[in-house]
Amino acid sequence: MVDDDATQRLVCQKELEAEGWEVTLASDGLEALEQIRKKKFDLVILDIRMPQMDGLEVLGRTLSASPGLPVILYTAFDCYRDNFLSWAADAYVLKSPDLGELKNKIKTLLEKE
Amino acid sequence: MFDTIVFLLAGGKGERLYPLTKDRAKPAVPFGGNYRIIDFPLSNCINSGLRRIFVLTQYKSISLDRHIRLGWSILSPELGEHVTILPAQQRISDDWYRGTADAVFQNIYTLERERSQYVLILAGDHIYKMDYRPMMEFHAYRNADITVAVMDIPIFVASRFGVVEVDGENRVVSFEEKPTAPKPVPGRSDRCLISMGIYYLDTRTLVKEVIADAKIKESTHDFGRDILPRMVKEGKKVFAYPFQDWQKGEERYWRDVGTIDAYFEANMDLVAVTPKLDLYDQNWPIRTYQHPLPPAKTVFREPGRCGQILDSLVGNGSIISGATVAHSIISPAVFIHSYARIEDSIVMEGVEIGRNAKIKRTIIDKYVKIPEGFQIGYDLNEDRKRFTVTESGIVVVPRSAVAI
Repeated sequence: MVDDDATQRLVCQKELEAEGWEVTLASDGLEALEQIRKKKFDLVILDIRMPQMDGLEVLGRTLSASPGLPVILYTAFDCYRDNFLSWAADAYVLKSPDLGELKNKIKTLLEKE
Repeated sequence: MFDTIVFLLAGGKGERLYPLTKDRAKPAVPFGGNYRIIDFPLSNCINSGLRRIFVLTQYKSISLDRHIRLGWSILSPELGEHVTILPAQQRISDDWYRGTADAVFQNIYTLERERSQYVLILAGDHIYKMDYRPMMEFHAYRNADITVAVMDIPIFVASRFGVVEVDGENRVVSFEEKPTAPKPVPGRSDRCLISMGIYYLDTRTLVKEVIADAKIKESTHDFGRDILPRMVKEGKKVFAYPFQDWQKGEERYWRDVGTIDAYFEANMDLVAVTPKLDLYDQNWPIRTYQHPLPPAKTVFREPGRCGQILDSLVGNGSIISGATVAHSIISPAVFIHSYARIEDSIVMEGVEIGRNAKIKRTIIDKYVKIPEGFQIGYDLNEDRKRFTVTESGIVVVPRSAVAI
């Protein structure tokens, strides 16, 4: 779960762990890439607007370094949906207080694996 | 036309052209005296009305970069027309381009910024004259997902290429890279179709395909090897645009100058009385960068010391001083001294050949100085000790070689 907003990270961690998933946190793009290189993950949830390196660049680099690792773009903005690089994500979910959609996408993608 | 940008892939190493590619990328290898290989696809673009051109470079790109800057800064960016060099930037990858599809994927930012409707993908290493517009019309007319330009060649030489099998409607049925048993064209068992490395498709389709390809671990990230065969398998509308009409027995010039021997032959094609590749056709000019040099010159007409040029091309600024040049290509600014004899050879820019030197079936790279009385091409065993000699006996003297 990659997000520069501490509250957002905390909320996601609590809710996703309650579903029984193990969650690792990163607070910007560079940190996320480092974690992805070090450890094997089943899925990445990625904010787009972040300091150091934005989510789209992380997405591209993840695809090159770990092809096949599913990525969900999780952002407050709809405007990146038609960005060509966003098409590389397996899902595009708008941030919302209700994490229902995010959880459903995670389930679907993990089942596909 | 059709809101199209061009991606000219010029990152190939050209290993089989070594040592001509020792200091330069394959598309920057000099050709036909005045030109570089890349001048052909670039000229084709301009002549086809395509003026939004991106040249994707990677290995040993300085020479190519300089040539494009000097020779191709001719379009007006104010009108949205340009030849822009896109070096590998590692923007979304820690790797260099792993293949042609990866090269496009790594430049997804440019596709995003340009947002053209179509992309024409070209290889930077073939010698040919082609109007791309009929192919673009063909693509629209067939409502294709991707159109690949194909050339029919004799079936016995096809195993070296990417072979395309089509049905009666020119729809691609199979795609095989270097097959042992190439499939012939419908109705002609002696010919078969090979891919020219030219692809035309909608930008959105292109983006989807290179992303899908990037997600496949086993992929070599190549259009010919990975993307096209997969699109065919998935039932996408993959069409082959015939560069020449094989049913009418049409013959058009296209050469993959991937090896020294093929490169040598293609150069020598220009020397023929009626060359297969016409560089004099003002309807399809091939542009290049040329230094401002005076006209070529021959001097001395004494018996036994006569500056003469027979069946050859000679570049500006070259001086043939009491020497004989036959069936050869002499590039600009070459100096050949008295009593020397150059035959069936390619001499690149700035070379100096000393008195009494004898050169046969040899390619001499730029700025080499051949000493007085030196012989190349007459004793291949001796030549092999110093230079590269190909299977068919062509000697290559690389740049900065001191021929002593």
